[in-house]
Amino acid sequence: MTCEDFQLRLTAFSLGELEQGEVSDARDHVATCDDCASRLLLDRQLTALLRASAVPAPQETVTAVLATVRAEAEAGAGRLAPSPRQPARRRHWLALAAAMLAAAAVLAVALLLVPAPDPGSPLSAAWSSYHSRGEDGLGTPTQAQAERLFAVLGPDSRTPDLAAFGLTKDGWEARDLAGHLAAVAEYRDPDGGRVTLMRWRGDLPQVAKGTEGGQLAAYTWGRHTSYWWEADGLVWCLVGTIDQDRLYGIAEHLGGESSPAPAG
Amino acid sequence: MDLEGFEAATVPHMNALYDAALRLAGDQATAQDLTQETYLRALRSFGTFTPGTNSRAWLLRIQYNLFCTQYRRGRRMPLVWLDEGEADPALDLPSAEPGPEEETVRELDREAVRRAIARLPEDFRTAVTLVDIHGLSCAEAATVLSVPRGTILSRLHRARRRLEAMLLPELGRVQADDL
Repeated sequence: MTCEDFQLRLTAFSLGELEQGEVSDARDHVATCDDCASRLLLDRQLTALLRASAVPAPQETVTAVLATVRAEAEAGAGRLAPSPRQPARRRHWLALAAAMLAAAAVLAVALLLVPAPDPGSPLSAAWSSYHSRGEDGLGTPTQAQAERLFAVLGPDSRTPDLAAFGLTKDGWEARDLAGHLAAVAEYRDPDGGRVTLMRWRGDLPQVAKGTEGGQLAAYTWGRHTSYWWEADGLVWCLVGTIDQDRLYGIAEHLGGESSPAPAG
Repeated sequence: MDLEGFEAATVPHMNALYDAALRLAGDQATAQDLTQETYLRALRSFGTFTPGTNSRAWLLRIQYNLFCTQYRRGRRMPLVWLDEGEADPALDLPSAEPGPEEETVRELDREAVRRAIARLPEDFRTAVTLVDIHGLSCAEAATVLSVPRGTILSRLHRARRRLEAMLLPELGRVQADDL
């Protein structure tokens, strides 16, 4: 193989796409030709640079795409199919708003407009946290983490007992949700249903603003509804795969327990 | 609808889809729209996907078709062009254990490479994106773009020579230092 032959086949050889019969000829040539060996090295350096230039999807995009896909799956393909002329992001929030309207009508919870969540907000972080959990359940915080949670959240850092609702505790841990230290607890029911409870000190996310003390806000997360409320400076978020009426009952129960006692 | 199966097959490729969309569309907002619309279309046609085949190639094909039929029509590509007098940032090859300064340089490298790719004609840029950056075989890229495999190899070869020319001074310096 001549240098000209090799350089014509350089890209295919470098990519492993050269015809089998030519591979050994190319290797033999590179072994004896410094110029072509240098060209091959240059080509492979270029490949490394090209691969390193990939731009990962921003968290905002990942969140928006997943929410849209789940809303679409929930609505049924085609039923909420967007018009091709509308911007996709706008369609996504319309789909969410439609799903939320349905949830609010059935469950009679506070009805709120749905703004796009800030990608750096606790709402997005809580959503990611909910979906990032593995099948093995949560572990147990270290003593130091438990003490810190108690110091920040007070008695509400403890995992509530939901045995009356047929749920058993499946671990809890401390997590950072967009800069907020959060207590995250997991529960299971006998059918494999999952419930996640998150609490942190801070303001209610924008999506749940407008609720008053003791009110629950519902926010659709794909196939599931999440419930949000604020009590004594803590934000509570409950979400799960169990029957949504049952989940609402739990939210009502926890919301009632966690609401501050009336003054006086 | 098998949402779990769909997500398992497609979500790991979202970074690749977004990156490819960004290189096609040229701006982040359109790239997000294109990625989102691609996933919706993929969801609706997931029944036609053959398990065990390359789901990344399947998604990229949906995306490319969508771009050609709905995004490219009547719109000028908003590519980032370098000013003629503007020099590319210094280029260096990665070392094994980068320090903060090297990380900064690497980001400059990546930006320089992205701009060099953006200067390629669309046919070349798409072939480089699919094969060099996102690891499709030439046969898979040929299916995505509906062209013969030999056309992909030819585009790649010519694209890489152009990229070398744009990035050669730095590549050559590093190569000389390394040898």
